Amino acid sequence: MSMIDIKVAAVEQVTPLVKHFTFVKRDGSPFPAFSGGSHVVVSMNVGGRVHRNPYSLMGSPADTGAYHISVRKQEQSRGGSVFMHENVEVGTSLQITYPVNLFSLAKKAHKHILIAGGIGITPFMSQLIDLNRLNANFELHYAFRSPEHGAFADQLKAICSSKLHCYADSKGERLDLLALLSKQPLGTHVYVCGPNPMVVAVIETARNLGWPENHIHSEQFLSPGIGEPFKIQLAKSNIEVHVPAEMSMLEAIEAAGVEADYLCRGGVCGRCEVNVLESDGALLHHDHFLTDAEKAAGKKIMPCVSRARCDRLVLDL
Amino acid sequence: MERGYWIRSKPVYTSLLWHEKATSHLVVAQGQGGMAVLKLFQLMHPKQAITVLYTPYAEADYSKTLVKVVPEGLHILETEQEVLAKLEIVLQGMCMGMRLYIAGSEDFMWSVAKVANKFGIEDAGMMKELTGTLARPIYCVHCKATTHGVTTNIGECSGCGRMLFVRDHFSRKLGAYMGLMIDAESPGELPEIEEIYP
Amino acid sequence: MALAFKQETFRNDYKYSNSPNAIKRFPFPFAEDQYMYSVNIEPHVKGKTGSVSEFAFDVDEHYVGECLDKQLTLDLDRGRYAALPHMMDAQWDFVELTMEALSNDYPEHFSLKKEGLNWTWENKPLNIKQSFVFGDASTMPMDPFEFMSKQVQGDFVLLDQRDETLYADAGFVTSQADWSLAFDVGMSWREWHAPVPRATELGVMDRALKYLLNLQLGSPVRRLNWTMTVNPRLDTSPENYPLWGTDRNTVNPENVADKVHLRVELQSLFRLPRSNGIVFSIRCYLMSLRELSSYPRWAKRLHRVQKTMHPDLIEYKGMTKFHPMMVEWLSQFDDGSAMAVGTQPE
Repeated sequence: MSMIDIKVAAVEQVTPLVKHFTFVKRDGSPFPAFSGGSHVVVSMNVGGRVHRNPYSLMGSPADTGAYHISVRKQEQSRGGSVFMHENVEVGTSLQITYPVNLFSLAKKAHKHILIAGGIGITPFMSQLIDLNRLNANFELHYAFRSPEHGAFADQLKAICSSKLHCYADSKGERLDLLALLSKQPLGTHVYVCGPNPMVVAVIETARNLGWPENHIHSEQFLSPGIGEPFKIQLAKSNIEVHVPAEMSMLEAIEAAGVEADYLCRGGVCGRCEVNVLESDGALLHHDHFLTDAEKAAGKKIMPCVSRARCDRLVLDL
Repeated sequence: MERGYWIRSKPVYTSLLWHEKATSHLVVAQGQGGMAVLKLFQLMHPKQAITVLYTPYAEADYSKTLVKVVPEGLHILETEQEVLAKLEIVLQGMCMGMRLYIAGSEDFMWSVAKVANKFGIEDAGMMKELTGTLARPIYCVHCKATTHGVTTNIGECSGCGRMLFVRDHFSRKLGAYMGLMIDAESPGELPEIEEIYP
Repeated sequence: MALAFKQETFRNDYKYSNSPNAIKRFPFPFAEDQYMYSVNIEPHVKGKTGSVSEFAFDVDEHYVGECLDKQLTLDLDRGRYAALPHMMDAQWDFVELTMEALSNDYPEHFSLKKEGLNWTWENKPLNIKQSFVFGDASTMPMDPFEFMSKQVQGDFVLLDQRDETLYADAGFVTSQADWSLAFDVGMSWREWHAPVPRATELGVMDRALKYLLNLQLGSPVRRLNWTMTVNPRLDTSPENYPLWGTDRNTVNPENVADKVHLRVELQSLFRLPRSNGIVFSIRCYLMSLRELSSYPRWAKRLHRVQKTMHPDLIEYKGMTKFHPMMVEWLSQFDDGSAMAVGTQPE
């Protein structure tokens, strides 16, 4: 996979939990332009182990001089976000992937409703600039815990003016999804990024109001999570790999020196899909990619987020 | 069961069924499609707002029965053109959650779809039932004219007069099958012309 | 090495030939004796110096002749160019990609000067110089995509990615192997591949789609496709089928080696940055059987491939009328001995 060598040009504490990072290319050349909603995967060396986390690109897609990401410090982190907060400073060198977009705007939409919860605002930051440039009809609805946690609210106000609607939970402000989604003109698309209950609520509300599936868009990166340790056999490489509790299957495979395909590392894109040749227990599918039928069949697994509870699991790798 | 035959780029036509989550319903039908509308109402009378646009076609006229069955929101129109004009007006006032149902000939359904597309309703958001004739619209790839209501395996182009063989290829944007000159390699040699899409 | 552009025609008198160097670098597609339809996608990485894959977009001795032929075809039928309104970002992506590639790879022929968004493009072989504001279509003499696709050999289709598929929402298509942009524009991946015969399908189209949906910026891919064409004609479109359809009747055992051409498409796909679309580039190479036989290894290989071709494919590729003559002519190069796997000429 092609990677881009970057160094950190600026770090800013945006809210008590969110830091904003500015990246420039190490060789000083411009980055590629990107489309609103794109993310990059940042590789970091955490105590000798490579962590790769996806983060949305913020800022203007046309600004090729620098890339911007924001990282929320996760309480239940496996180390990635804590590393970004505590070890990454101006001048730190890192590697990132080329931008990937799994949350792009529907170009034929007549209107766009963007709904963000907390750090879920990040993919919208670049989309808003695209929407403004295209003179598109849109609204942004942004919900957060309390004003001090409403990252980038001032910046958003400047970009969106009256199209921005903020909801601070601490002030008792609530976003009424049913009211919002029941009176939208034909050709409207809705996008949501935020905590799981919010994503589910938006999807369910739109569905129950008869919105077609392809007008409902969500992005929710999963983090691989912590689980029980288990062992896997890689058939082609003919080795056994131990997957520790705090490591994903994909990370363990990579650490064993086996090259595996990947793109989003968040259970969304399907690129790391692997065939399961044998298993004697339960596959714990956590991804959004495989269909329920495929998950039940147990012939495929997404090693970036999924795990297993079995004594024997043989993968076609 | 789908009527007619199947090719991969051909859209799937089904029997109309109410979409249970819809917040309003818009039914557009022509000729024999009136029967599809009656069947819908036989299934149930949904409690959401309903609009029905109907035009008789050839011998098929379900107007009288529809007036009795459709409680409100029924518009009987004289021609396809009037239906399309009314549709433009009706769509302007509608919100997301409205579901569109179309019944009639292939020509008619894709004319309706074209208007709906302008309002951001995509193919996946419409349900279509093919009724009455199996006649097909044929787009001539040479002169770009569309010939409507072709019932034969080989049809004469209304634009350039070439005899067109119909390729198994359908364009939703043009609402037509692809027609290609049949005797380009051996001018004048035509296979027998048969009516296969009555 | 500076390219010597030839004066050529791809219709009527067909003044077209390949120099010895062009024959040697021809992308011969058959590595094995039997042809199997496959997706055969590989990374579009820099190939050997002088090869057709040395650069992102290959410019060769036919450049000027092909560009003139494109213009001629478009003048006769404006329907060969189409761009749906939501594809403007992809149009600019295409301009950036092609201008940067050509000016970097062929600096003696093309140059691009940038001052912020004020760009100046110069194409010496076609004698074009254009200053414009990147992103502002009003500063271009025509659609930006049309402007640049006239200046690169091959056909181009811009794909929009939505609803988990790819839509052919813009294109400049003048050298196609029997498919129509005017008919196919706006179609989804599955719709526009509908005429591909079942025998060749075997789920490969679905697998290719899945792969392309994850195509990455900075990691383009390519594949080869092929057919046989009578006369060195670029525009074998369905639109003009009445013009070239009868050519298939003109092949006889005496002229088969000069009339029948192996037509190879170097297809490459690039993810586009601003639009998240994909450009599908289809570059056509033509070589007569006689030219091809200057490397007997290729003639021998092609004989075996054609002799064992599935009848459905012979029909699908429009070879029915001249296929036996072609196989017969090629048979003189086949001594029956085993051949090693590979596409190399010698």
